[in-house]
Amino acid sequence: MKVAVVVQRYGQAINGGAELHARYIAEHLARHAQVEVWTTCATDYVTWRNELKSGEERVNNVPVRRFPVKHERDPLTFGRLSEKVFHRTHSVADELDWLEAEGPTCPGLVAHITKHAGEFDFCIFFSYRYYHAFHGARAAGTKAILVPTAERDPAAGLSIFAPIFRGVRALMYNSPEERAMIQGIAGNAHVPSVVVGVGSEIPANPQPQRFRQKHNIRGPFAVYVGRIDENKGCRELFSHFNAYLRDRVGKLTLVLIGTSILDIPAHPRIRHLGFLDDADKFDAIAASELLIMPSFFESLSMVALEAWALGKPVLANAKCDVLKGQCIRSNAGLYYESATEFAETLRAIEFNKWIAGTLGKNGRQYYRDNYDWPVVERKYLDMLQRLSSGTAPDGFEPLPGWMDRRKATCPPAAEVVAAAPGGPSSAPEMTVPRPMGPVSPPLPTRPQAATERSRPVAPPRSTQQAAGRRPQGRSRRSGQGAGAGR
Amino acid sequence: MPDFNVRSDAVNVEQIMEQIRSRIREKRGADYTEAQIQELASVKLEKFLDPRGVRSDLLEQFRRTQPPYAPPELPNFAFEDQTLFESTRGPLRFMRKLLLPILKLFFNPNPLIQALHIQSTLNASAAEREAKRDAARYAFDQLHYEVMHNLVLETTRLGIDVKNVKMRLESLASRLEFNERRARALESVVVYKPADEGKPEGRREETRREDGRREDTRREENRRDEPRRDEPRRDDNRRQERQERRAAEQQSRPAPPPAAPAIAPAPAVLVVAAVPDVTAADAADGTPSQVGAPTDGPGQRSRRRRRRRGRRGSGSAAALMAGGQPSDATADGDGGSDDEGGAEGERDESTPDQLADAAAAPAAPPAPVAAPREPSEPEQPQADPAATPEP
Repeated sequence: MKVAVVVQRYGQAINGGAELHARYIAEHLARHAQVEVWTTCATDYVTWRNELKSGEERVNNVPVRRFPVKHERDPLTFGRLSEKVFHRTHSVADELDWLEAEGPTCPGLVAHITKHAGEFDFCIFFSYRYYHAFHGARAAGTKAILVPTAERDPAAGLSIFAPIFRGVRALMYNSPEERAMIQGIAGNAHVPSVVVGVGSEIPANPQPQRFRQKHNIRGPFAVYVGRIDENKGCRELFSHFNAYLRDRVGKLTLVLIGTSILDIPAHPRIRHLGFLDDADKFDAIAASELLIMPSFFESLSMVALEAWALGKPVLANAKCDVLKGQCIRSNAGLYYESATEFAETLRAIEFNKWIAGTLGKNGRQYYRDNYDWPVVERKYLDMLQRLSSGTAPDGFEPLPGWMDRRKATCPPAAEVVAAAPGGPSSAPEMTVPRPMGPVSPPLPTRPQAATERSRPVAPPRSTQQAAGRRPQGRSRRSGQGAGAGR
Repeated sequence: MPDFNVRSDAVNVEQIMEQIRSRIREKRGADYTEAQIQELASVKLEKFLDPRGVRSDLLEQFRRTQPPYAPPELPNFAFEDQTLFESTRGPLRFMRKLLLPILKLFFNPNPLIQALHIQSTLNASAAEREAKRDAARYAFDQLHYEVMHNLVLETTRLGIDVKNVKMRLESLASRLEFNERRARALESVVVYKPADEGKPEGRREETRREDGRREDTRREENRRDEPRRDEPRRDDNRRQERQERRAAEQQSRPAPPPAAPAIAPAPAVLVVAAVPDVTAADAADGTPSQVGAPTDGPGQRSRRRRRRRGRRGSGSAAALMAGGQPSDATADGDGGSDDEGGAEGERDESTPDQLADAAAAPAAPPAPVAAPREPSEPEQPQADPAATPEP
């Protein structure tokens, strides 16, 4: 089986959520199939400047083909068009212009997809909102699988994306909330889909003491990991944490990890450590009392999953449906809507060790049941098998004609999203039984390899070795169904 | 931080959040919805409208300053179809009516009449509405004044309450702080004292003596303070003592035989213990020795202590002690062994022979030894002449 992963940026140094998600999926699927990554030469998601060489290279043994971006983003044009399509009645042409302005405009990549998609069984597109996913999915036709990574932002309400959501072969959602929103907007309940998410590379033995010594941090602390940005809710976090400090009851320090584009309040109990590598990040989470996720919009917080994998509770912003839903479903985190709730929940975790411990334990179990790599791989492989055995639908609805594109009939995207179903989903996620050992690939074979289909496929040696290196004890829990421990 | 009620491994996040929110509601007080606030406001307003709820005569003063409302006298705007042709003179009215068709040849007055009629109706209704509005505004002004007045009262009361509560809080805080300091000080003072069981007999004896000495010292210190505190009572006691001594001297002059004890004599050992310095001869005839130390009993001991206090302390006390008995002044010159105080020390000084003689002697001075006294009773000086001379 040959699978192409198409993503806007790719590389070991690129730590964006969707990009990291794509890299993890590509590397894990490469154990079961022939995977190739198609991406751009850009590394900056704001400018889309070509900073990497075009052509082929290998990243962690996965072949990567890069294509140059045609032009960088013009922030003024993009802002003007965003204002127009998000908040005013507009036309399809306006939306296409907005997509072109957003980037990364990469016609070479789309042309390559058009030309070579037939050589692959499936093309998995990441991030619905970018140029490569919109035009690439249309170019791939019936081979397109979409990982939307959609947040509850106005872009999801643009009318050009609804045919994409309805036309792809399958959708791999990150959360039930994301699925409910997209199905509410696009009416694509008939499209095969599954809530998958993504795992993470959790170290087996994080070193909390090493982190404390290295950064001279004493006493209990709460950690935030991510870009320190107003859009991520950091300004509100600072305000709430200052209120918490004013009460002088709690002893927690706030440790911030990540690049800052926001002024950080000067307080001895607010520490900014800047960007840290993965080892330090995991050590920090392991040393912390809890992780705080103040973001308003998330399709899936990988940091929250990592905290849960390390047995740490999460304090999330309740305005983010996904995070709140995850906290409720996992019983592994609390959430806040106001400064008072922030302080109270923080104190509840700080002063009630049994709550923190139980939440952390639940989080670890939630991660193992839903986001550990064997589960994620199994879901992907099951979906690929299901799609390859089924018949392909008709494909995408055609774009409107020249005249129709220019009719201002599209409602403001923000209103469309606001009307979409919201709120956290309390129903437990549908999970597959956790595999006993390494995931063996009962993958659909390509038509030319039909003769080999009847033979049972043994797990490749590399898979077994990789499974043996898995840090989080796979062998500890054997063959129990999902949620059996609850 | 109070603990949560959910005590289970299977925590429910929504339940915890509900508890946290209820705690926040408790802290903030009542968390009213908009409807509840409206309801409360209406209830308050009804209360304000009740004349019994008004707490002062400010409202009456306000009403006095405000004249009662009277609607203004407006001109009559009535305009009917015949108004144009009306006249007080009958022939003229008749002529106008007669010539009306001719007038209508030149113009049609009916629209004019209709318009003016409508206008007059409108004017009347507007005037009526305006009058009603004025009346309502007047009533509302009074209502507003009532509400404002009561608000001012309530705010004032609340302000006073807040001040009181603040003061009480400060007082409680200071008391709490004082108690904490006191507790800390007490904790620092407490020293570990090993039990006496492990000590040898001699050491236990010593410990008892030390305790006794400490106790005596403490009592002496207390008594030293007594003259300052209980000077009048003490003077009365001394006066009474002197009178009793005089009476005793008068009684002792005929030298009556020793009276039998009114109560059963104390056991010999007890007597010996209480009368250590009594010589055999003294014990035989029953009279106290001239050089003898205090005969017995706690009363004597206390007297001795008082004398010592007199020597050490205030001159007035010494003078009182010596009052009427000059020999005391000489006897007070030396401290002697009385300073040892306790009967045990005196018993140790007696020789075995003396002890044996004393044991063989008939119950020597019964009254001071055996006279039981209530412990709570204040120490009254005994009329014992033998106690005055001291070696």
